Amino acid sequence: MLKTEKTDVIVIGAGLLGCFAARSLREYNLSVRVLEAREDVCTGISRANTAIIYTGIDNKPGTLKSELCVRANENFDRLCSDLGVPFSRCGSLMPVFGPEGEKVLRKKYVQGMKNGVRGIRLLSAEETLSMEPNLSPNVRASLYVPGTGTVNPWHLCIAAYENADANGADFCFNSKAVRMERIKGGFRVTTEENEFFAGAVVNCAGLSADTVREMTEKPLVRIFRTGADYFVMDKKSEGGVSHIIFHEPESGNKGLTLVPTIEGNILAGSGERDAADVPDSADLNGLLYLEHLCGEVVPKLDMKKRIRSFAGARPNPFIVEPEGSGFRKTDRSIRDFSIFEEEGLFSLVGIKTPGLTCAHELSKYISVKVADYLGCSEKNSGFCPVREPVEKVSELTFEEWRRVVLRNPAYGRIVCKCGVISEGEIVEAIARGAKTVNGVKRRIGTGMGRCQGSRCTMRIAELIARELSLPVSEVTLNGGISNYVKGGGPGEV
Amino acid sequence: MKYDILIVGGGAAGMAAAITSAERGKKVVLAERESDLGGILNQCIHYGFGLTYFHEDITGTEYAARFRKVILDKNIEIMTDADVISIDEDRSAVISGKNGIIKVFFDFCIMASGCRERSIGSVFTGGTRPAGIYTAGEAQKMINLAHYDLGERFVILGSGNVGQIVARRLKILGKDVAAIIERNESLGGLNKNRHDCIEAYGIPVILRSTVDMIYGEGRVSAVRINNLDTGKTEILKCDALITAIGLIPDRDVAENLKKNGTYPDWLYFCGNCDNIHDMVDAVTMQAEKLASDICRLMEER
Repeated sequence: MLKTEKTDVIVIGAGLLGCFAARSLREYNLSVRVLEAREDVCTGISRANTAIIYTGIDNKPGTLKSELCVRANENFDRLCSDLGVPFSRCGSLMPVFGPEGEKVLRKKYVQGMKNGVRGIRLLSAEETLSMEPNLSPNVRASLYVPGTGTVNPWHLCIAAYENADANGADFCFNSKAVRMERIKGGFRVTTEENEFFAGAVVNCAGLSADTVREMTEKPLVRIFRTGADYFVMDKKSEGGVSHIIFHEPESGNKGLTLVPTIEGNILAGSGERDAADVPDSADLNGLLYLEHLCGEVVPKLDMKKRIRSFAGARPNPFIVEPEGSGFRKTDRSIRDFSIFEEEGLFSLVGIKTPGLTCAHELSKYISVKVADYLGCSEKNSGFCPVREPVEKVSELTFEEWRRVVLRNPAYGRIVCKCGVISEGEIVEAIARGAKTVNGVKRRIGTGMGRCQGSRCTMRIAELIARELSLPVSEVTLNGGISNYVKGGGPGEV
Repeated sequence: MKYDILIVGGGAAGMAAAITSAERGKKVVLAERESDLGGILNQCIHYGFGLTYFHEDITGTEYAARFRKVILDKNIEIMTDADVISIDEDRSAVISGKNGIIKVFFDFCIMASGCRERSIGSVFTGGTRPAGIYTAGEAQKMINLAHYDLGERFVILGSGNVGQIVARRLKILGKDVAAIIERNESLGGLNKNRHDCIEAYGIPVILRSTVDMIYGEGRVSAVRINNLDTGKTEILKCDALITAIGLIPDRDVAENLKKNGTYPDWLYFCGNCDNIHDMVDAVTMQAEKLASDICRLMEER
């Protein structure tokens, strides 16, 4: 067991919250270490969601959620501009198909106004259809929210990581916290290989945030997992939408969410369902229900053009009471962001929608408290909020691209045909921390087109092997034992 | 540079179109994205090619080699490792290759860019998204050209020609093929392949069925087979799933030129980017005829 030098703060988990927490903590003169169980950032809850930046119309006035969400939305252009992340403020429509839905619209409208959300309007059926002609003609009315937007959650998380790293946060991967104890002056956190020490701990461990908290505290809150299913349409699909659609069904059942993504695809998702045994496992009936909803809401959307389906996990925090050596679940679900401050341990437990929107605001909120706890009021004068994105050849003009290729010919070798992504970009993604095929995908979008990686994954695996000096058989799609091939390779027969 | 004809793709169709055009005295440039001409033929190390065109039964690689030999003797500008990135309305194309990014101008463009495969994402499947899922063409390339080992026990979804040929190749390599799953009432593909691959190697076939669940964390560990008539399900253990569920003409690079459903009168398609062919011989002949027609058109003007 290797003892490491004490830092001011340990952040557990390198999802959206952990990466943003590390970044915000570095705005103070605090040394920060991040312990991530997996091989890369953005592998847990942050990985799969609807990619929506909410405005706050859905949140009860006076809650932390509504306060942070409204502020986060207003500041989102600035945040994305600093971090070099594309952000599309495409606006959203909530179409309804009957009197029950219209009641919901009016309630959301009033709530949005109370929360100070700008520009929201109730639209007639005609106005709705003129904005979204592919919506079902049965639409009765809608709520238009111009401030709603979409961002690629992978890009946002990775940008926060890179910027936190550039500002001196120390990220340790493959470092699962297995034990945490309170010691004099703070905490000792033990991983399989090392011991870490810090004055304070920020617990952003996602689905494990409850059990990480209980390493030093009594059971009080537990996460109960649910799941959500999604599919993605090819970029060239007709019959889609240009605004985010929050369909509010008359039946009170789960509605459909459609997102025109930053990449130009349509992402379809629905409400939560019961959890599968495996967190990322998709539910076939959930996917079929989504298809059915699409038929009702956007009947012209060509379902044959779908290119991928997947699932994500959602953490639902409930109050529990200690019982014997364990706990007992109560029916008290925590609706607001649940943050536990316990003598130097700051736990974000069960942060869900609008967690993507609020990751940065939540991290600022926590950092103030951590700095205050550690008695550090001094700002880090060297902090630089700006991060440069990977240069994309598909966005360059012919002359610009030619100059880039003259400097580095790898930017002229196209590997991902669908996305027009070059070897140079892949090598850069690996240099910035991608270790797996999906790590490259999350950074620069390889394998996300209509061929879904069938033409480029072998080449990408070979590039990862080359850059990291590994045999190709050790390259994984997604860490762990997800090896892309079992063995062999060029030169081996 | 200005050419009479730009040919996009150097597989069976592109090579045939280039040879015909050059023989008619046209100034031709051919751009191939791989390092070698031949396209998908290079990974087809099995027999069954050339029966119509050469009146011989040769392998795909041999078929490609015969055209490579001819094409190198012609006066054709051949660019390998060269991706056509975009084609513009002013009859220019941006080509990215080992010598950097260039722009070429032309009078006519023949698209011979082949096809791509539908992936597992186009089928609704519950379960996880593990490693060990390949399209048939991807698997064929990985096994035959790069000698990768993809697994021990395979399930193949889709029984068209490619699915059957990959199944046979796996059997030859000593792998276990648990089953080929086909949603129709009978096997797809040519009778010849059914005889040479499925019957000769005793590969189990499950008809009127599909894969609707994928299991495994990390690598695929099993799939669930769902009978479309009875709804009965069965779990098949496997460590790799190969999908052979359809080919789609690849016209990506020309899509922006389509206006009101039609392409400009200087752009033509041949081979699998025009329509999916069963036999390469037919691709060659179609490409030769198209090139010949274009040459006549140019000469008449």
